[in-house]
Formats: sequence, C-alpha cells, structure tokens
Amino acid sequence: MADFEVPELTGEIIIPKVSPGASRHIQQFKAKPELMEELKFSAEKGSDWKEKFLLAMEDILKKYKSVRVFLDICVRCGSCADKCHYFIATGDPRNMPVYRQELMRSVYRKYFTPAGKLIGGLASAKELDDDLLDEWFTYFYQCSECRRCSVFCPYGIDTAEITMAAREIMARIGVASKYNYEIVNKAMTLGNNLGMIPVALESTWEFVEEEIEEKLEEVGITGVGVKLPVDVEGADVLLVTPSADFFAEPHIYSLEGYAKVFHQAGISWTLSTHASEGGNFGMFIGNYDHMRTINKRIWDAARDLKVKKVVAGECGHAWRAMYSFSNTLNGPFDFLKEKSPQHICELTLDLIKKGALKLDKSANDEFTVTFHDSCNVARATTIGGTPGDQFTIPREIINACCNKYVEMDPETCGEKTFCCGGGGGVLTDEVIEIRVKGAMPRMQMYSKIKESHGANFFALICAICKAQFTKVFPYYGYEMAEVGGVHQLISNALVMGAKEEV
Amino acid sequence: MNGLSSVFNLLAYLAAAVFVLGFLSKVVLYFKTPSPLKIPVTPAPTTSIGVVLRLIPEILFFRSLLKGGTTEKILWLGGWVFHVSFLLIVLRHLRFFTYPVPDFVMSIQQIGIWAGLVFPIALLILIVRRFTNERLAIITLFADYFVLVLITAIGATGLMLKYITRTNLVDVKAFILGLVTFSPTQMPDSTMFLIHFSLILVLLVYFPFSKLMHAWGVLISPTRVQVDNPREIRHVNPWA
Amino acid sequence: MATMEFEGQDYEVDEEGYLMDWSVWKEGMAGVMAKQDGLELGEEHWDVIKFLREYFEKYQIAPMIKILTKELKKKYGKEKGSTKYLYELYPGGPAKQACRYAGLPKPTGCV
Repeated sequence: MADFEVPELTGEIIIPKVSPGASRHIQQFKAKPELMEELKFSAEKGSDWKEKFLLAMEDILKKYKSVRVFLDICVRCGSCADKCHYFIATGDPRNMPVYRQELMRSVYRKYFTPAGKLIGGLASAKELDDDLLDEWFTYFYQCSECRRCSVFCPYGIDTAEITMAAREIMARIGVASKYNYEIVNKAMTLGNNLGMIPVALESTWEFVEEEIEEKLEEVGITGVGVKLPVDVEGADVLLVTPSADFFAEPHIYSLEGYAKVFHQAGISWTLSTHASEGGNFGMFIGNYDHMRTINKRIWDAARDLKVKKVVAGECGHAWRAMYSFSNTLNGPFDFLKEKSPQHICELTLDLIKKGALKLDKSANDEFTVTFHDSCNVARATTIGGTPGDQFTIPREIINACCNKYVEMDPETCGEKTFCCGGGGGVLTDEVIEIRVKGAMPRMQMYSKIKESHGANFFALICAICKAQFTKVFPYYGYEMAEVGGVHQLISNALVMGAKEEV
Repeated sequence: MNGLSSVFNLLAYLAAAVFVLGFLSKVVLYFKTPSPLKIPVTPAPTTSIGVVLRLIPEILFFRSLLKGGTTEKILWLGGWVFHVSFLLIVLRHLRFFTYPVPDFVMSIQQIGIWAGLVFPIALLILIVRRFTNERLAIITLFADYFVLVLITAIGATGLMLKYITRTNLVDVKAFILGLVTFSPTQMPDSTMFLIHFSLILVLLVYFPFSKLMHAWGVLISPTRVQVDNPREIRHVNPWA
Repeated sequence: MATMEFEGQDYEVDEEGYLMDWSVWKEGMAGVMAKQDGLELGEEHWDVIKFLREYFEKYQIAPMIKILTKELKKKYGKEKGSTKYLYELYPGGPAKQACRYAGLPKPTGCV
C-alpha cells in the first residue's frame, strides 16, 4: 500500500533515535506563478529573492510580537524536542520544534542581530541560500501548527507562530505550497475550500435532506421533514461549517446530525451559499489579509440574512478563526443578537441539558467510542465559557448519546493531545508519508484502547481530523468507518418525530 | 588610583550602561511590537488576575517544564536549583553594595553561601545534559556553552575568592561602594577578583543581546500573558 | 509542466497526472491511465466516469461519494451501491482516482 514503512502499532509511544534528514524528501507541490500572482504575492522566485525575503522578514518582525520575542528568548532547553508528533514518527531533528525554528532563527541572527552580523557562524548565524530556502519549504510545511510544543515550553514559545511567519515570508518571494494557496484562492473567490458553486451546494444539501428522510424511513419513521434551509432571511441561526461536510465521509453524517438537532429543537436556521466554509486556510499560511477576507464572508452573510447568531460546525481551525480571531478581523458583531459565534457542541449540549432532545443511547450500542481532542480546539480556543470546557463538552455529548465511552491515555488528551498529523495545511496527498507517520502517536493510543477496551469508534470534531484519519486508518489496518463525528453519534441516537414542549 | 583601577571603573560603568540601555531597548522594542491577534495557548485564564495566577507558577516553579518527561524533570532540577541559587548569591552580594547592610541581606548570608556551593552542581547538570542527550547535542549552539561556561567561571572564581585566594573584603566593598556612589576608587589588589569582576562585566554586556532575555520574555510571552476573552472584548490589531 | 501523450498528442497534466484542462479529455485516456495503475476498466468503472463527467459539467465539481454510490445503487442494487464497493472499483479513492481517469481536477480541501 505504501512505498514507505508504516509504523508498527504497539500501543506505546517511544521517542526515536535522531535520524538527520529522515523526512527531508517529503515536500509539498509548489504553487504555480499564476496562482501566486492572483493572490497578490510574487509570482515566482526571482534573482532578487533574498532582498525580498529579508524585507518580508523585517515586516513580520515589526508586526508580530510573538515572532520577535520567540526568536529572541528561546534558551534551547530542549523541552519541546520530543513533543512533536512528526519528530516522534520520523526522528528527523528538523521536526524537533526548536530545531525547526532554528531554520528561521539562524537567518534572524545573520541579518537582524549585531552578533550575527559581526561574527556570523560563531553566533550560529546562517546566510540565506537556495539550500536553506529549500529546507524552509520542506520543514515549515511539516509543521501542523498544532501548538503542542508550546504547552511544554517554559516560555510558551509557539512554533505555529514561526511556521505561519515562515510560510508568509516564502509566499512573498513566490515560494508556496500548491495545496494551501489553491484552497485560499478557492475560498476567496468561490467561498469555500472545495470550490463548490451555489448550485452544487444547493443540490448537495437537497441530497442530504433526502438521505436523512430515507434513513428515517428505513426505521419506519416518515414525514419528519428535516430540512437544510438555504439562504433563509430572518432565520435565527446561521450555521457555518467546513465545506468538507458537504462532500466527504464521514463529515456528511455530522451535517445530518446538525440538521436533525436544529429540527428537533425547533430552531430556525439556515446555511448560506455565500458563507459556505468554516475553515480558513488564511490562518495556515499566516496571511492576515487573506484570513480576514475569507472570514468576512461569514459576517456579510450573517448581516444579509439578518440572523440572530452564528454557529460553527465541527472544524478545529475554523473554530479558532471564529472564536479567537473573528472579532479582531471583522468585528464587532453588533448587528447580531448574540454577538459571539457559538460552537455547535455548546448548542447541542445546552439543548440536551434542557431536555429538548430525546436521545436513544442504544442506537450507538455497536460502538465503543473514544474521543480525540483536536489541536486547535484544545489549545487555541474554548467551547463553552470556562477554560477546559473544550474538553468536557464534547465528552458530555458523547456520554449523553452513547453507552460505551472510553478515554485514551490522559497523557495524550486535553491540552497534551496529539495532532492528527494532517492539520495546519499538511492534509495533501503528496506528503502522505509524513501524514501517516505523523498520526502514529495518536494511532498508538487508539490501538491501545482498542486492545484493552475494544474501542471501535474514533469520535472527532474537526474536518481535517476526519479526512486525515479516514485516509490513515487503512494504512494501520483499521477500517475508515471507525472514524466519525460527534454529531454523527448524535444523529444516530436522536429520536425524531413528536416531542414534548420545552 | 592606579591606571588599572581607572580602566576597570570605566569598564564597569560602560558595562552597566550597555546592560541597562540594552535591556531597556529590548523591553521597549517588545512593548512596541504589536500582537495582531489573540493567541493565548488554552486552556487560558479569562481575566487579568487569572493571567497573573498563570504566570506565578511558571516564573517561580517553571511549571510547564514539569509537564514533560524524565529529560525535563532533570532539566527542571538543574534549572530550578541554578536559578534559585543564582538569585540567592546575587542577594548575598548586596552586602558589598550597601552601607549599612540591610538586615534582610545579613539574614541570608549563610544560605547564600550554601547556594554558592550547590550552584556548580546545578551548572554541571545543565552542561552535561547538553552533550549526553542526543537531541540536545543537536540543538545546542556555541552560545549555549558560552554562557554556561561564563557563568561557571564566575561561580568558580567567586568560590576561589571565598575559600582559596581570599581577598581583603574591606577593599572589595570600598571599590563596589565607590562604583555605586559614583566616587570611583582603587581596585582590590587581587588577580582572582579582577577575573571574577571582568567576567561579570562580560555577562552584563552579553545579556541584552542573547537568549538571557528570556528573563524578560517569560513575563510578556503572548501565548501565556494574553487573556482568553476574544468574544467578550474586541482585541484590536493596530496595523490592520 | 508535465504532459501526457495520447494518440500522438501531448496534453498538459499536473504533478499527479490530472489533466489541466478537463474539456480536452478523450474517452480513451481513461483506459490508458488505468492501465498504468494496473487496472482494467469494466462497465461499472465507466458508469462512474460518465456520471462524474455529467455531474461536473453541471456543477463544476465532482459529486460527493454518497451521490456516486446512490447512483450505482440505482443501477446495480444495494450490493454495489456502497462506498466499499466504490473503493474496490477505485482503490486509490473514488473521488481522487476516478476523477483523474475522467479528466477532472482533483477535489481538494479538508477531504
């Protein structure tokens, strides 16, 4: 199946011996000049690339306190060194967060510090050249911006900030990942990462309605009429979810779940053909303007449709964009009744607690469920109002709709969760080797809980996690059907039809 | 005052100036550089008081290091003992800078001596781990050894001054007090003191331009000091 | 830019062999691509390819897998109307492999 060695599942995470260059050959495809031009970057690397590179770097150093401070204060204590899933899986030292950052720090010393300018190599300063740039391109696209390193750093140094800056600097000289920048372009022009035009969206949503209806009919329930309303002015809720929910499996099952929740709770809601994407790859590439433009569609749609609030579907970095960044990028949202976007999990749990949803846990009895904390939700946001709610709320939902829930090793949950291996713009097929390997720490923990407790459902609240694990599970000999969404479980258990007043 | 003393008095003022101005310029630079977005690493406090409560254990007990494995536990031990004993040693030295010596400084003289004795052990841990651990060997730069060796040399010469080549402390105090009261005077007649003192000046000059700025960084790192309230209070990006 | 030769003519393809311009696609290309993957195209394979082309013409994107399987179900019954069967037909992934044979761009996003 693979032309590389798939890690063996032992149920243990073992820190490997260092193996320089082990993942040097894994590189994303480069974006074409026309695309870069369209996105207002340099079309391609010209002869003056070094000057442009340094200008870009200077600009970022002026604009981002995180980058400036992090480049200065790292003491190379090594606490982060064995915390990155890509390092654990490959042993490539460049995947140690501190050594990944060293790619930028060595350039920073050379051109932006007195010592580097004066004594160069003795101050570990490095001159820019093609080789170094190529290393940048390799390894800054082998970081999934998951922030796990930051948790263990005595100063909270977040490699994601460095990676985002590095990608932006490279883009400004025309060196960028095809996958990421194509998606940014699609999101800016068509409104979603997949590039679905309104008629495609509408026909898909209609199809999902039929699916829901048919499935209900199979169990003898008719005439429920669950709708996926489109561009309904005056609806209470605008649901913004990753476009993967309109295309891929198991994503689509969570979409069915959201629709059924809204229907059953009697909430008037709508999808938008204009804001048809929750995800925001502008974040992954560290470009503020593109991130803002992509995010703006959501708030334009909310204003145009005169909704009262915006609810985000199951997507990790979308939630980060909406929770942490939206208010800065395009806020404040005075035109909404509820100014802050809300996560679908918070909404669903509230409804469950109010008794507005009747759940038949036995519908999920074939599953022994475990939950994987998605990096962006875990380490960049919260879901409810209290710190830590991002961990408890999804678990409470699962426990409300499933009889069998088991927890993976707590050392790999919550703030210490591992990335799926495909986040931060790494979810592309040409780097499948790093994706399969990067999933290894989480796969070890899943295999362990499978072995000990018979886990057979891997529940998620992130579109990237879902796509990544369905792709990666077969490499490890597991069925892709074991991967699913939290609202997929809700969808299974939700008792439809007549309900008592709430 | 002899020539050597004049030179060293001058160097001391220069070093102090470089340290203070260098440090301050970095502080100002960091302060002026904006944080465009809310980036606290969560779970994060939702109030300013919460942030203070988050920082205290980070600063006093290096809390994040304790989240790691064995390697980090060893680092924690070496690092924590190093920092605490360094602090105690510095506080003990205040007796050379003050007249009359405050009670507080007097009261920590003994503990300061003990700190001086464990100090080299902590430094040894910090140095040895850098070449015995494979991952650390790769990430360690010349600068990392430089600063460790520099501080070890400062500690070693200090211990020599105390236990082997004892110096006339009255002279030392006169010299230091002369410096701090801006009435420079003769240096103590001791080569060991001269070395000890010179190395400290090197450390002062080196400080603001090195990773030692982590001392300030830990107080301002955006992922740790930001309040996690992006929905309640709009965080404004000054450059957008 | 990479190219693929077909009946004496060169066609532009991307790094993974997807046609750059879906409109220049010729039926015979699918068979050539499949052969390179060691795959023999049967009637069911062709149904998928044709459906993909029709869908794409209308919506400018490949359909989601569910829509494909439903289409197969309509024609061949429940047994073959499943994701599993689709993966048997196209082991490289129905959306990704079949799209290539059909001359369509690869759907990318969080999928």
